[in-house]
Amino acid sequence: MRPPRIVATAAVGAALVGPLAFARPARADDVNIPFTKTTLPNGMVVIFSEDHAVPQVDVNTAYAVGSRMERERRTGFAHLFEHLMFMGTHRVPTRAFDAWMEQAGGRNNAETGQDMTDYYDLAPPTALPLLLWLEGDRMRDLGHEIDASKLALQRDVVLNERRQSIENQPYGIEELVLPELVWPEGHPYHHPVIGSPADLQAASVADVKQFFDTWYDPANASMVIAGDFDPRAARDLVDKWFGTIPTRGKPVDPPAPASPPPRPGPTSTTSPTSLTSVVRKTVPDDVELAKVTLAWQSPRHFAPGDAELDLVASVLSTGKASRLYESLVYDQKIAQSVEAEQQSQVLGSVFVVTALVRPGIDPARVEKALLEQVAQVRSHAVTDEELERARNAYETAFVERLQGIPARAALLNEYQVEVGDPGYVQRDLDRYRKASPADVLDAARRVLVPDALVVLTIVPRKGGK
Amino acid sequence: MRPSWSTPAVPARLATFAVSALLAAACGGARAPAPTLPVPAAPAPLASVAPAPDPLGPRPEPPMPATFLPPAPVVYTATGGITVWLLERHQAPVVSCQMVVPTGAASDPPGKAGLAYVTANMMDEGAGKRGAIDVSRALDDLGAHLDTDANADTTWASLTVLTRHLRGAFSIFGDVVARPRFEAKELARVKDLWSSELLERSKDPDATARVVFRAALFGAGHPYAHPWDGTLRSARAVTLDDVKRFYGAEWRPDRATLVCVGDVTKDALALLLEDAFASWKAPAMPAPPPLVPPAPHGPWPRLVVVDRPDAPQSVIAAVRPGVEASSADLAALWRVNDVIGGSFTSRLNQDLREQRGVTYGAASRYSVSRGPGQVVAWASVVTEKTGEALGAMLGDLHQFASGGLSDDEIARSRSQGRAALVGSYETVQGIASKLGGDAGLGLGPDFEARASRARDEAQRPQLDALAKRFYAPEDAILVVVGPRARIQPMLDKLGLPPAEVRDADGEVVRH
Repeated sequence: MRPPRIVATAAVGAALVGPLAFARPARADDVNIPFTKTTLPNGMVVIFSEDHAVPQVDVNTAYAVGSRMERERRTGFAHLFEHLMFMGTHRVPTRAFDAWMEQAGGRNNAETGQDMTDYYDLAPPTALPLLLWLEGDRMRDLGHEIDASKLALQRDVVLNERRQSIENQPYGIEELVLPELVWPEGHPYHHPVIGSPADLQAASVADVKQFFDTWYDPANASMVIAGDFDPRAARDLVDKWFGTIPTRGKPVDPPAPASPPPRPGPTSTTSPTSLTSVVRKTVPDDVELAKVTLAWQSPRHFAPGDAELDLVASVLSTGKASRLYESLVYDQKIAQSVEAEQQSQVLGSVFVVTALVRPGIDPARVEKALLEQVAQVRSHAVTDEELERARNAYETAFVERLQGIPARAALLNEYQVEVGDPGYVQRDLDRYRKASPADVLDAARRVLVPDALVVLTIVPRKGGK
Repeated sequence: MRPSWSTPAVPARLATFAVSALLAAACGGARAPAPTLPVPAAPAPLASVAPAPDPLGPRPEPPMPATFLPPAPVVYTATGGITVWLLERHQAPVVSCQMVVPTGAASDPPGKAGLAYVTANMMDEGAGKRGAIDVSRALDDLGAHLDTDANADTTWASLTVLTRHLRGAFSIFGDVVARPRFEAKELARVKDLWSSELLERSKDPDATARVVFRAALFGAGHPYAHPWDGTLRSARAVTLDDVKRFYGAEWRPDRATLVCVGDVTKDALALLLEDAFASWKAPAMPAPPPLVPPAPHGPWPRLVVVDRPDAPQSVIAAVRPGVEASSADLAALWRVNDVIGGSFTSRLNQDLREQRGVTYGAASRYSVSRGPGQVVAWASVVTEKTGEALGAMLGDLHQFASGGLSDDEIARSRSQGRAALVGSYETVQGIASKLGGDAGLGLGPDFEARASRARDEAQRPQLDALAKRFYAPEDAILVVVGPRARIQPMLDKLGLPPAEVRDADGEVVRH
């Protein structure tokens, strides 16, 4: 059977990749993704990363806007807007964006998160001017030229995305419920990225224009061009097509809500969480196996404790010899599968532990067993062997991932958006390498407290529906 | 030939001079000299509405990229008769290998559906001197990824690891392939997990649809009819003897191909093979030839419905017999499928998503299998539009099958085919997986380059003929997974045959 794995998400970044185009790394710790970075007069950041191994080129454009910037009663808007970005302008009639790109052998997609929205185009090297022209067109004019019919169509598509990926999906409900339980009302992460149908219905053309003017300003954008291309020729096109887009200035990133004061704890185990108790919720769903989810507020991405909690997650659930798997799945046979993950975000992260419950087993028993294992990582340091195993898993995952041009472009841009430095990869990896068992223990003690967490249980709906 | 696309109209560039002149006058201020002479402007349009020149200019039109011919692996026979395909790539310090044999779920004995799958799963549940937990721990110590799995026609074990840990990981890989323990207590545990997985599968609408496509198209008893991961009933029936017998017949070095891609040389690999596989010997009895299942024989058209009460969406699909992987048409079928449902701008996705907004995505695909597989067009659509969406899908398929491809589509599918192939050659694990699939199906080490050329060179007569042969909806088996009470009246309005009701395991429900 396949053991559980580390999922290489954009939230964790560590790369063990030499400067691929030039030489192999001499030592394991020579990590580097070669790039050059420039800022255009309008504030837009452009990053060039050349690599001629495979004949393709990637354009990755990030806008520093996500669901946490949404106004009240407009949940889901950032993601709906992402869909509208493909609906065209006077230069690019509706549906031509994709038609022209695919005609040239390209493909594209986009992703909206809580903190940022990321678009990529991937195509043969000869198509780079077309990719830049299409991106320049929509960054310049899309919002001004939106109309009610474009909005209505993509709203229908998004409502179907919601049905397909959440409502008609086993355990899909978790994505809607968990943010509301973990984050207090009024917190930017309190609502799910997909938003509510009522808010999506309420979105207007005026909202679209305002959102575009505020957040899709070139000063709020960064673009990575990566792969098999000539940086000088690309730079000329960038100056011509992006450098001339007018700016209203970089929008102000709404600050994080004031941190709650440290909670008084027994010893040094104070936790910076706004949760003040164990928040429980049980939700029926059309599933066969119950699912138990534990969630804690945890340190934001790149803050002290963030990488340490990635390592804790790996010790808990990567591989059959991980603590949760061996205990709950292999020995006690009360769980079907287990997973632990530090879900890193800009304002604050969530540490999540889940288990699917075997048929006939009481979910409460699984919850207790999960909490016992969590208590263990709080009371005793992980072993050197466990830590080494967790580090190795991260290193391999990122070497695998960063062989690909699109993945490398996305990572450069994520570093740019979050820490303002596309070349952050070495420091990112060092976080994992430098973490000691004591650091890991300290992070677990501070965060995985027994009296301030969410316990969500999804149970099979009665009546066999 | 380049397709012809009309360039969008760009407004005429006039009168910029007049604009600056007016601005200068307006902003002159007190100290500005009084205008003396009127600006000698031509009779220009009203300056305030005159557009500035478009900084973007006309749309760039990229040339058609050259055919991509991927590198072929070096092929040789190694210890014990293992065929090796080696493709060196030293850009990143990582290696990916796949050992594949040409037997899969199609060879499951009657009543034992899922035997190939569970046999593959059992291979790393204890191997060589290590038990199940220790195999996993030893691999994780090295940051290595090892997977074992089966599909309809092949079974494989794959390994991806950083170069500096290759030696240690390859030895465990050897244990898993050649020295699995197959202990009774581990099988009992794995079967328990397997049954729960099947319960979960029954609640997943897409997984359910996939099970039903096979069952309905191939019909009971056909080697491709059952789900590769079995059913609740067959999962209970599988015994340890079944697993050992199946492994013994399928896994022997003279039937196996080892694909290795990445940061490893032939000499280095020879040492690893000697260490890991020197003791792996083929039995005296000659190896059986790979099974080639026959084409399905209908009947069609039919309508199959799986009831999923209260579902907010229905899965709708049209299923038809496909092609065998050895067919000369396989490469060109990629392009035909791309046009009708293989890309974002495909006809089905543009109609159902971008015109009608009834789905998050509509698509089509074809199987690459040793015997003729299946061709499927499908979408998840909002329940109240089930009838409209299915009607539209059938209309799109009919038009495609009878009218063929447009010039633009012929050109676009060529560019897309090339791009997809380039994309799968980015990572060593992607290449190993692709070559492993080819080896398992007996397609040959130069298959990808040959197919790339054949796909790029395919012309209209072949493409149109394939559209007609594989996508005409008149002969299709239609499958709908949704809330039956709500969707049946919509289906009735389309004038479809009476529904044959099946359950989530693909079995016909008797009333």
